[in-house]
Amino acid sequence: MTGVVNFYRERESSILGIGFIVLFLVAWESIPLWVSLPKGVSLFFTTPSQVAVKFYELMADGTIQEHFYISAWEFVVGLGLSIAVGLPFGLIMGRSRTLDALLDPYVTALNATPRLIWLPLLIIWAGIGVWSKILIVFLGAVFPLLINTYTGVKNVDRVLINMVRSFGAREWHVMKIVVLPYSVPFIVAGLRLAVGRAVLGVVVGEFFAATKGLGAMIARAATAYQVDVVFVGMAIFMGISLIFTFAIKKLETNLSRWRPEQVKTF
Amino acid sequence: MDVKEIYQKYRRLVLGVISLISLVALWEFALTYVITYDPFFFTTPSYIIVAAKELLLGDRLWRDLAVSSHAFLWGFSAAVIIGIPIGAVMGWRRRVEYALDPFLTGLYASPLVALAPLIILVFGVGLTSKAVLIFLLSVFPFIFNTFSGVKSTDQLLVNVVRSFGGKERHLYFKVILPSTLPYLVAGARLAIGRGIVGVIVGEFFASSEGIGFAIAQFGDTYRLPEMFVGIIILSLIAVALTEALRKFELIIAPYRADMEIR
Amino acid sequence: MVPYIQARNVVLTFRPKNRDPVTALQGLNLEVGHGEFLSLVGPSGCGKSTFLNVLLGLLRPDQGDLQLGGKKITGPGYERAMVFQEFGLLPWRTVLANVELGMELKGMPVSTRRQRSNELTNLVGLRGFEHHYPHELSGGMKQRVGLARALATDPEVLLMDEPFAALDAQTRDLMQAELLQIWDRTKKTVIFVTHSIEEAAYLSDRVAVITSRPGRAKKVLDIKLPRPRDYEMRLSPEFNDIKADIWHSLKEELISKGGSDGR
Repeated sequence: MTGVVNFYRERESSILGIGFIVLFLVAWESIPLWVSLPKGVSLFFTTPSQVAVKFYELMADGTIQEHFYISAWEFVVGLGLSIAVGLPFGLIMGRSRTLDALLDPYVTALNATPRLIWLPLLIIWAGIGVWSKILIVFLGAVFPLLINTYTGVKNVDRVLINMVRSFGAREWHVMKIVVLPYSVPFIVAGLRLAVGRAVLGVVVGEFFAATKGLGAMIARAATAYQVDVVFVGMAIFMGISLIFTFAIKKLETNLSRWRPEQVKTF
Repeated sequence: MDVKEIYQKYRRLVLGVISLISLVALWEFALTYVITYDPFFFTTPSYIIVAAKELLLGDRLWRDLAVSSHAFLWGFSAAVIIGIPIGAVMGWRRRVEYALDPFLTGLYASPLVALAPLIILVFGVGLTSKAVLIFLLSVFPFIFNTFSGVKSTDQLLVNVVRSFGGKERHLYFKVILPSTLPYLVAGARLAIGRGIVGVIVGEFFASSEGIGFAIAQFGDTYRLPEMFVGIIILSLIAVALTEALRKFELIIAPYRADMEIR
Repeated sequence: MVPYIQARNVVLTFRPKNRDPVTALQGLNLEVGHGEFLSLVGPSGCGKSTFLNVLLGLLRPDQGDLQLGGKKITGPGYERAMVFQEFGLLPWRTVLANVELGMELKGMPVSTRRQRSNELTNLVGLRGFEHHYPHELSGGMKQRVGLARALATDPEVLLMDEPFAALDAQTRDLMQAELLQIWDRTKKTVIFVTHSIEEAAYLSDRVAVITSRPGRAKKVLDIKLPRPRDYEMRLSPEFNDIKADIWHSLKEELISKGGSDGR
């Protein structure tokens, strides 16, 4: 008996966590057994098992793959661009107070505004091909990266910078030897946020401005009352988000081992 | 104070303003005198200003803003009322945390916006579906920030109050609540951003009113100046709310030297 | 004469999750007289802070008999107050509001609280800082607030858990002198936990040496120095003898403790 109790005690958190999720899925699955759904509602209703079945179907006939590649492409290119722009700008803005002051109004305004609002404009400029989505992804992901890099750079210990300077290092060296390594945990945290925003950008961009891609698939399925397809799409996005988030979180902990204080991240 | 001193003190503000003005001036100049542009794709600040005057003096824009705010308030209030207690219980009772954390983290990390079409299907077009969407999007920062705030309550302070014979309710009001407040405000700040996204998504999809709808409609009819006015107004509102909360954070918690990653 | 505080055969074992149980106190016996200043010294992790928490009522011993003024100790009570090593001030309250905390919980009326907190803030030398916040105060000042707060409910017993450990040497000396003055004026019973033999000898009537974990009272020494004590006494040969005595008793515990550190 104590064996079981000890086993539970050690893994309590995972058992309760997984247990709750399982409970939720089971409850969901069994709703039609408890409640007889009125005709109207059953149109919108689906169960986890139906979603799973649909998933296999769509994988089998290649629908998912087709849409997935497009979404993935938009995601990767958009994210890549945001890294290419966000990182350097964050670094420079962190080091140069003048540049920071000049660019800050735009960064603040653009960061606070939901990126989605630019979509009609982007549609006008870039049509409904991949580029409007890439740009939305870019706009969403670039700011967490930029701002976090900036914060990291700004918070570098002055003492370390002065120390490296005293060896005659130029700005470029200071960046490379002190600033960049110090900022890495911030940058990675920013990357995690950026990934979340990027996924959102893909979803939302494809809802309104696409005929291909997982988001478009979901939107179309919804209008055709194919609720199970909607959930398949949703589950895929969820899975991708989770994988990326956990991978980057792992990276964060590894890289932050030397840091005494907590890097707060939401 | 002479000019140089003024400059030093307000340097950041001055540079920011200069930056904005120069951009607008450059934009106006370039598109009016240097480059010829297709009015379907671009517009100039002067046209935007004209459109702004028209829209602001008329009723239509204000009505749209009212409709959007209405939906936002409903969804957001629901998020506050439901999210905070859940977060609090999670922070206070370890078992609840264990049970709910993976599930809620999973939901938080997934693009719940993807359910928007479904929500509209179920609740129809209008206030309810918008409010539900806004709720879904903005509830999570409240849950997780409250959770984090309650969980990080300094155990030492709890012991102090206990040592003076404080009961459970004393702990809640005298230690946990004040300690969590900064986290709550930060959560509100995050939630506002996400809530606004909810408004826009809801309105883009299926609405005949609201600021999001207005912008989309302007876009569909290639009325760029009006569209920019809408975007700028929404932007100003978003910035104002966010910055106001940031200031509020600083007021209620000057003792927190934490760094935050937005 | 019945001692004011009596601890007999106190046993306490911690049972943390996923780790082996730790016996912090094993048969601890101690007696404290009314109005006495008693210090507890011992190696790290010997259980002296644990014992203090037991006296405070925050921890329940597994076995043993604890009495204060003839009554059993079952939980926190207003006749005992603690001063914490890390201060424990509520960061969002001003100095005055922090001092009032105990009185608030006791249900004292606002006017009384206000008056007393002003008095005590003055007593600990923080006049003018009533409306400051903890993050604006130095370590020494924060601890004074902690002391004022503990005195505010007019407890019979002051429990002090290494209160000056987080302060620099000079502030520490200052605070020790001030503590003696306040003690002299208020005549409380004080139980003072410290690592510093010098501090214990300087402040106390008696010093109890606690063994390494699990802790018991190994030896209790009388400090036969006249009161009021002044700094000069620390330089006297008598003082050195006293320190040597304490040190000898303590030394064995430090050696035997060996590698069993970690609370």
